Amino acid sequence: MEDHEILLKFQHPASRNLAFNQLVRKYQQKVYWHVRKMVIDHDDADDLTQDVFVKVWKHLENFRQDAQLFTWIYRIATNECLSFLQSKRRKFFLPLNDVGSELVAKLEADPAIAGDAIELKLQRAILRLPDKQRLVFNLRYYDEMPYEQMAEVTGTSVGALKASYHHAVRKIEDYVTNADIPSYSSDEVD
Amino acid sequence: MKPSFRLDQHPRRWPQPLSSPPAGYFEQLPTRVMAQVAAAPTRRPLLPAWLWQMPAAVRTGLASTVLLGTFAASLWLNSAPTGPAAQPVTLANVPQEQLLNYLTNEAHLTLLDLAELPAQNLASTQQYLRPSATELTEALDAQPAEETTIL
Repeated sequence: MEDHEILLKFQHPASRNLAFNQLVRKYQQKVYWHVRKMVIDHDDADDLTQDVFVKVWKHLENFRQDAQLFTWIYRIATNECLSFLQSKRRKFFLPLNDVGSELVAKLEADPAIAGDAIELKLQRAILRLPDKQRLVFNLRYYDEMPYEQMAEVTGTSVGALKASYHHAVRKIEDYVTNADIPSYSSDEVD
Repeated sequence: MKPSFRLDQHPRRWPQPLSSPPAGYFEQLPTRVMAQVAAAPTRRPLLPAWLWQMPAAVRTGLASTVLLGTFAASLWLNSAPTGPAAQPVTLANVPQEQLLNYLTNEAHLTLLDLAELPAQNLASTQQYLRPSATELTEALDAQPAEETTIL
């Protein structure tokens, strides 16, 4: 079902639930993986994905259609992820690198990456990035999202996004090149 | 010297190398989400949906018109004369003869009210009623005895 059909049906109380069910089915995988890449843990990603769709439900009537529906949903998901990571630090009084260490530990425990030393180094390097820069990197490198769309999702200018991605790639390459360091340490500041 | 790592030469794994969610997760997720939203009502929009569908320029123009209209209306209402302040001026401009006609015909005055009037100002009775001696005699004769005593 096309987005405009979903939105049209959502306006009518009789077809609202059906339309929203279609919307969830259409975008659930993209939202889940977008969130999962940021929080690594499946249970956290599951909770956040549901929260994202509940927010979409609450605000869909106000959706202005200035942006694409998916961009709008992605933006909600992005904000949820960043708020989650920020609140996690506040809640447990954790400094930036401790949350990073926790994410790395979860990643290393994931059987999907076991045995691939280079890939593990790469993922550790990505997790060293500040949250917003990691978000930019994920959107560009893994999702191959155009910069213009990324600008809508993040509310940042295209120029700033290009610079942020360029810096992220350099940091990752430097880290992986010199990554004999077993312990995690972060010198990044948001 | 170590060879430099180049990201563009590294085979990209997609999605990020993370284990897949449990089997059947994406089949169940919509049902779980729908169960949650059933308890979460949609937020009612402050403005109707058709208004949001208008171009931004039209919405801005409409908002400006409404704002200006409200301002003009409030200005007009504030400049209009208010009742209590204007009342003395208005009454002063009404001829006394009309006032007396109103009071005698519309205000349901009792004979007692009329009886007290000459006591306050005898000239006013003569000025406005201008009764002749014959009319006065006839009026007095027509009154019941107990009411004529107060005159």
